Amino acid sequence: MTHPSRTGDVPAVTGIPVEAALPTAGSQTATTTGPPRHPPGQFKDIWRRYRRNKLAMVGLLIVAILVVTAIIGPYVTPYDAFDQNLLDTTAPPSPQHLLGTDVLGRDMFSALVYGVRLAMIVALSTVALSLVLGVTLGAIAGFHGKASDTAIMRTTDIFLAFPLLVGAIVVVRAAGPGVWPVIVALALFSWATSARLMRGQALALRESEYVEAARSIGAGNRRIIVRHILPNAIAPVFVYAFTSIGVVVVALASLSYLGIGVPPNVPEWGRLISQSVQFLRVPGKTHLWLSPAVAICVTTLAFALVADGLRDALDPKLRGAG
Amino acid sequence: MGTFILRRGVQAVLVLLVATLVIFLATFALGDPFASTGEKVVPPQVQAINRAKFGLDKPLPIQYLTYLGNLVHLDFGIDFDQRRQVSSMLAETLPNTIRLALVAILIDVLIGVVAGVIAAVKRYSFWDVLVTVLSTLAIGIPTFVIGIVLVGFVSGSWIFPVVPRSFTVQVPWYQEVLLPAFTLAIIDAAFIARLMRGSMLEVLRSDYIRTARAKGLSERTVIGKHAMRNSMIPVVTYVGISLGILLGGAIITETIFQYNGIGYLLARAIQNSNVPVIIAVVVVSVLIFVLLSLVVDILYAFLDPRIRLD
Repeated sequence: MTHPSRTGDVPAVTGIPVEAALPTAGSQTATTTGPPRHPPGQFKDIWRRYRRNKLAMVGLLIVAILVVTAIIGPYVTPYDAFDQNLLDTTAPPSPQHLLGTDVLGRDMFSALVYGVRLAMIVALSTVALSLVLGVTLGAIAGFHGKASDTAIMRTTDIFLAFPLLVGAIVVVRAAGPGVWPVIVALALFSWATSARLMRGQALALRESEYVEAARSIGAGNRRIIVRHILPNAIAPVFVYAFTSIGVVVVALASLSYLGIGVPPNVPEWGRLISQSVQFLRVPGKTHLWLSPAVAICVTTLAFALVADGLRDALDPKLRGAG
Repeated sequence: MGTFILRRGVQAVLVLLVATLVIFLATFALGDPFASTGEKVVPPQVQAINRAKFGLDKPLPIQYLTYLGNLVHLDFGIDFDQRRQVSSMLAETLPNTIRLALVAILIDVLIGVVAGVIAAVKRYSFWDVLVTVLSTLAIGIPTFVIGIVLVGFVSGSWIFPVVPRSFTVQVPWYQEVLLPAFTLAIIDAAFIARLMRGSMLEVLRSDYIRTARAKGLSERTVIGKHAMRNSMIPVVTYVGISLGILLGGAIITETIFQYNGIGYLLARAIQNSNVPVIIAVVVVSVLIFVLLSLVVDILYAFLDPRIRLD
């Protein structure tokens, strides 16, 4: 049995533990992965498995389009997303306005494109922030146990005791309107879940044979956490983080729907819906609330698909079984 | 077990104290509720009388301690808007929220566990693909949008009450609870199905399942008793957290459907900076969550004896 450090020239955070390259003891579902071999480059391997998933590839394509739209979109749209035209409100789709105009006479297409940018900035920053916090604290809590576990878990208790939106509302109201208060507030009330997930994983893995084996040959705590626990535990946490991008996109929209967060004149998706609430049951005005709703759906769905693909590609236990 | 519960009880009280302190301090940034705003000019004398009436003239620590003291007697103070007892507003709305949460959880656990087990046991079959595709869609389409679409297309038809609602019209509880409960249940059902499928697949590959099969146990016993019980751990955690969140008021869904629960109460309180109501709702949801968290931990240990309690 090769000790992981022998092949340890690849970053451990790719989520593929070296153990997985060894043949799994013939379980019912997994076919044998063949004799021990050197993995053909971890990222290449993940990509190879990811590519096989058609839906995930579609998701990735949409995410790519969203990201490109977020970066260059507002510079190429026909109208300024903030330009109101109170003489031409709630217009149906036409050659001048591809998706019609909203209740303030803004070009809906340009407004939605601006919304992509806002959603991407908020979602990616929030998830990155909460992931760093959650994984670090969760791993420490689960592995070390005792006082650090108690301290960290009681802290997550406090943060988890506030529902995401309620907590975010309080913080955003206290900090004032703007994009950064929203990011910080959402990260503050979402890191605890990934910390708990991470802790649960670390707790279970701490007792596993390979951690015991690593310890028996003299590996230190730090090494065991970084090399053995993290790679094996990170996959569900990472997938959770990716799924939570959708949650953040929705939370941003929800905050705006309630009238807090980004300033009211910003064409944010939730804001576009809330300003059209009085048209909810009006025939012929469906596009007012349906187009931002579809924009939210497409975004969250695309990220969910990518998260799925990643989960399958990262999960070492499913390796060779797919 | 007894000492464990006692210790967690003490921890729960500490969490509650910190959380109330946080919410108490944060709400003070919401601004002075009695100051002049826009066209509304309030004479300074009236402002002073109002502040004295609600105890806002006292220093912050005194206010906090007074609040905690009253809290023990379930006295949440008087709200700024209608000058009603906040406790009576809670008594009015909390049962609705509990009902909504329970109905939603019931729907999502039923759908989620059944779908997840089927998908895992019949892996790569038509059912597995169906569960995967449906759960992907359900997770991809946010609750918020589902709620809006249901209000736009379904509310007002069949037995479902019209939104916007009039609270003077009495509707049987199951008529008003169904649409929001369904809205809330969809995403949780999808997550539970996934969690269940994932952990079930993992468990099914484990040695003790092989042993169980080798002993000649029926597939029903292997799946129903050995595999399911061991796969439930992530689901229990998820349901615990989810129930805690739902009981704390599904603020967006309740607001969209104008469902008279504590979430909608909170949404309205935030609109007009009704601080006593905001604090009360958040404190109640925190309290509920802390209690549930304790229950989840005990269940967790019950389901997986390897997890140490002490």
